[in-house]
Amino acid sequence: MKETKKKVDPDRRSFLKLAGVGTVAGGAALAASSTTGEAREEASKDSLYSETDHIRTYYRLARF
Amino acid sequence: MPIKGASSEEPPTIAQEDKLRAQLYGLLAKFLSRPPSVADLEAVAALKGDDTKLGQAIGMLARIGGRADVEGVGEEYHDLFIGVGRGELLPYASYYLTGFLHEKPLAKLRNDMAELGIEREPKASEPEDHIAAIMESMTGLILGRFGTPAPIEVQKRFFETHLESWAPYFFRDLEAAKSSVLYAAVGAIGRNFFDIEATAFAMD
Repeated sequence: MKETKKKVDPDRRSFLKLAGVGTVAGGAALAASSTTGEAREEASKDSLYSETDHIRTYYRLARF
Repeated sequence: MPIKGASSEEPPTIAQEDKLRAQLYGLLAKFLSRPPSVADLEAVAALKGDDTKLGQAIGMLARIGGRADVEGVGEEYHDLFIGVGRGELLPYASYYLTGFLHEKPLAKLRNDMAELGIEREPKASEPEDHIAAIMESMTGLILGRFGTPAPIEVQKRFFETHLESWAPYFFRDLEAAKSSVLYAAVGAIGRNFFDIEATAFAMD
């Protein structure tokens, strides 16, 4: 079982390479463009009104 | 997005092709989860594709991304996915497979996510069967963000169960959508990449 798997893996890898996945140039750019980090603003320290998470969510969902 | 990653560390044992697969899923997921930022557009403008069909689609995204302005692409995203009430497209597995949202495909996906240790992001405003969320799960499975990197059989089962039956149609619709300009390139990348993925998985 392990042997057949080893035989197929290189085929799969070379297929991926030939099809364009293995040789996408600008790899660093691809890595940079694919990370899904999101910047979060600091919550306001104003004691009269503080933008908590659920308020931010409301504004985000209420956007037209 | 509705998926929580356990960690963002990449173990050293992942093959280069699989890292690139994970990055392609990540790129598509990013562009389909929110309007692109200036940094996003600059990043794709730096991409170079080879002369394969996938490479050409990537080159198209790079060219359009290099000329796009963030407001225009934001409007494009809005018209495609938000609109008034709904956008031009509904990128959900349940919708494509049954015609309705929150259907059996979502239930099935939730089951499989639970089995694989993929957590739902509690603050997310949409169901998990959104194309971007499922693709983020694929990225996580490949890179081992939910434990160890998923073996090919696990990735294959996940892909075939939750993506293969509908995502190619979504990408085709995205490519052809009235509002699509930059997102036509995203659709072309998705369509070609998923074609490759399906063929590669079938090789087992």
